[in-house]
Amino acid sequence: MMTSLPQYDPPSVLEIRDLEFAYGGGAPVIEGCHLAVRSGEVHCLLGCSGGGKTTLLRLIAGLERARAGTIHVGDSLIEGPGVHLPPERRSVGMVFQDFALFPNRSVRENVVFGLRGISRKDRNAQVEAHLDRVGMLEFASRMPHTLSGGQQQRVAIARALVRQPRVMLLDESFSSLDTETRIEVRAETVKLLRDAAVATVMVTHDPAEAEAVGDKVSWLDACCRRGESDPDACARR
Amino acid sequence: MNLRTGEGGRGWVIGSLLACLVVAVPVLVIFSSVFRSSDGEWNHLAETLLPTYASNTGLLAGGVCLVAGIVGVSTAWILTNCRFRGARMLGWAQLLPLSVPAYLSAYAMADLLQFSGPVQGWIRDSFDLQAGDYWFPPIRSLGGAVYVLSFALYPYVYFAARMAFQEQARSMLEAGRLLGRGPFATFWFVALPLARPAIVGGLMLVMMETVADFGAVDHLAVDTFATGIYRTRFALESPVAASQLSAMLLSALFLLVGLEWCLRRRRRYHRTGNRGSRTAGGRLGPVASMFAFAACFVPVLIGFVVPTGRLLQLAIARGDARGGGVLAGIAFDTIWLALAASVIAVLLALVIGYAARLRRGLRTAGPATIARAGYAIPGPVIALGLLVPLGWIDHRINDGWTIAFGDDWRPGLLLTGSVVAMLIGYQTRFLAVSLSFVQSGFQRIHRNIDDAARTLGSGPGRSLVSIHLPLLRRSLLIAGLVVFVDVAKELPMTLMLRPFNFDTLAVRVYELASDERLEEAATAAILIVVIGLIPAWLLVGQLESNDDSHRNTDG
Repeated sequence: MMTSLPQYDPPSVLEIRDLEFAYGGGAPVIEGCHLAVRSGEVHCLLGCSGGGKTTLLRLIAGLERARAGTIHVGDSLIEGPGVHLPPERRSVGMVFQDFALFPNRSVRENVVFGLRGISRKDRNAQVEAHLDRVGMLEFASRMPHTLSGGQQQRVAIARALVRQPRVMLLDESFSSLDTETRIEVRAETVKLLRDAAVATVMVTHDPAEAEAVGDKVSWLDACCRRGESDPDACARR
Repeated sequence: MNLRTGEGGRGWVIGSLLACLVVAVPVLVIFSSVFRSSDGEWNHLAETLLPTYASNTGLLAGGVCLVAGIVGVSTAWILTNCRFRGARMLGWAQLLPLSVPAYLSAYAMADLLQFSGPVQGWIRDSFDLQAGDYWFPPIRSLGGAVYVLSFALYPYVYFAARMAFQEQARSMLEAGRLLGRGPFATFWFVALPLARPAIVGGLMLVMMETVADFGAVDHLAVDTFATGIYRTRFALESPVAASQLSAMLLSALFLLVGLEWCLRRRRRYHRTGNRGSRTAGGRLGPVASMFAFAACFVPVLIGFVVPTGRLLQLAIARGDARGGGVLAGIAFDTIWLALAASVIAVLLALVIGYAARLRRGLRTAGPATIARAGYAIPGPVIALGLLVPLGWIDHRINDGWTIAFGDDWRPGLLLTGSVVAMLIGYQTRFLAVSLSFVQSGFQRIHRNIDDAARTLGSGPGRSLVSIHLPLLRRSLLIAGLVVFVDVAKELPMTLMLRPFNFDTLAVRVYELASDERLEEAATAAILIVVIGLIPAWLLVGQLESNDDSHRNTDG
């Protein structure tokens, strides 16, 4: 008689529990939020404007400080009561809506910015490898303003990935691209992030986009702000 | 048909070319002096005082730029990115030192810190010391001048850096943090390089003001080019040697301005992201708040509170004995002179700015560039450059009169002996100021508006009067106010070009302070500070509206 093997359920790389946040002393923007993202998984966050999607990314990145709750990356507690690891020590990468490429640095200089403490040779090798992965090696010496939106997006991805983060945050990173480029760049990016086994949280306002690329989709208004405690209740496949 | 290159703007182009002559003529006169003989005066200067003038001017400009740069950039960064009690108040207070001209600051500081002043007197009394028992940094020295000028001029760097930091997209700095750099490294490697063009612009203003300063360095006994030019003209009575000194100084200044312009062109930064909403960074803890407050308050204390407080104290304690009548007359003369100069400056700027808008090309861009360069020319140099051609015109008028009407009566010095020379001189230096406000006002009006007016049958003149002027009202008012204040504060050029028995508040303060009668000078000095508060108040409004427009509304 054949017995089926139990399905392997990898542990979450990013785990958020009971997170709460408010600007100043105001009403909570995020309340009782739970989220768990595994390695190589893409978790999409949907919600209306002001729903707290970007705020949640900023909390994960360490750019805001939570009022309550915890955030773990792997086994490390990066945010919790009395704990606030600064952004530069979190192993979290982020691609901003406006890409935030440094306009006074070339493509190569942008990507190399995040690499420190290794030899020049290794640094160059890593930069070239990552630019090659996103198809931007031939543009290495160009300045950001000479690139198209899609090309700038690729550079921003390479710059974030070169530090080998365990978690990647995409903040409406495809919204400024035209439809055709968006679909193409989005597919490439998601493939790249899955191949690199990075846990990805992606903010989008487009349900179709969330369905297309997300392994899980959360509707932030409906769950986190209302304070539902069961992660599965606000995450559906 | 391209309306902007149509024939309608020819009159404006000619007007623009004529307007820029107020800057071009003095410069040409100064440079032409290089080919004239000074009867050995130049050789005498080159062997004796020139090395001192050059080294003092260089060290003074370098020292002031260094200190003002550090103070201006650090206060701008703290106040843009940190939240602590009193930060908003300190934000606008940084601009208050602009209301105190450097020479007033020098008078007050020298009065406070000299051997016979209250500070050293208190030290001697408190510790039972005699002269020679202790060391106190001399205020009448190069170091003293660097100290006074740095804290008088750092708001130029503060303002430029603050605007640049406010404009920087928040995501850019956050990307720096997420790429592994700490807060200081993010400031050093991301924010500072991005703000570099603005900071260099602010430093150039500081350098020009330092080199042009006469009153402060004269009082603090530092021989620079500005004092050298004045003394060579009036003590040595050698206008040619003074012009040759001026030519040397102008060459160095133009070289530096040109270099900065080239560097700025080569490293033009293009914005790749959104302007981005900005929040003031995290709220500081109690200890950090205390340090931040102290770092931002000390410059205001030195640049504004101490000098103004001392002058106010002197004005209340003694004041100008002849205050009522004489001071009121001088204040009235200062106000109408400044008013006339500001109206002319705005009109000339309007002509140059509108010509550049109507027609693009060297014929319109050239006058605008020349007019802007006027601000780099120190007051004494302008005065020298004007006295020669205006004197020549005066002589020709008198010669012509004699030929036509005989020798019984002559019109005299119509230009050099009247306020006309002063009004022209103010245009040479301050046209740049009004032009910058007028041009930025024009830039805010979309060019389609011009095209629409032209297609509806309006010529350039009617378009200007009925469309542009109403839209430019605020820019013109600000331009006029800033020139008004600059003229009211101006000292060296006024001193050299004024007719006999004509004083402004600045001249009155200079004369009394030079006679060690600071108590009497204090009343006029406080009036200058009050007038000087106007541009500081205008700049505060600009900073606050810039801050509000970048305030975060992200949910």
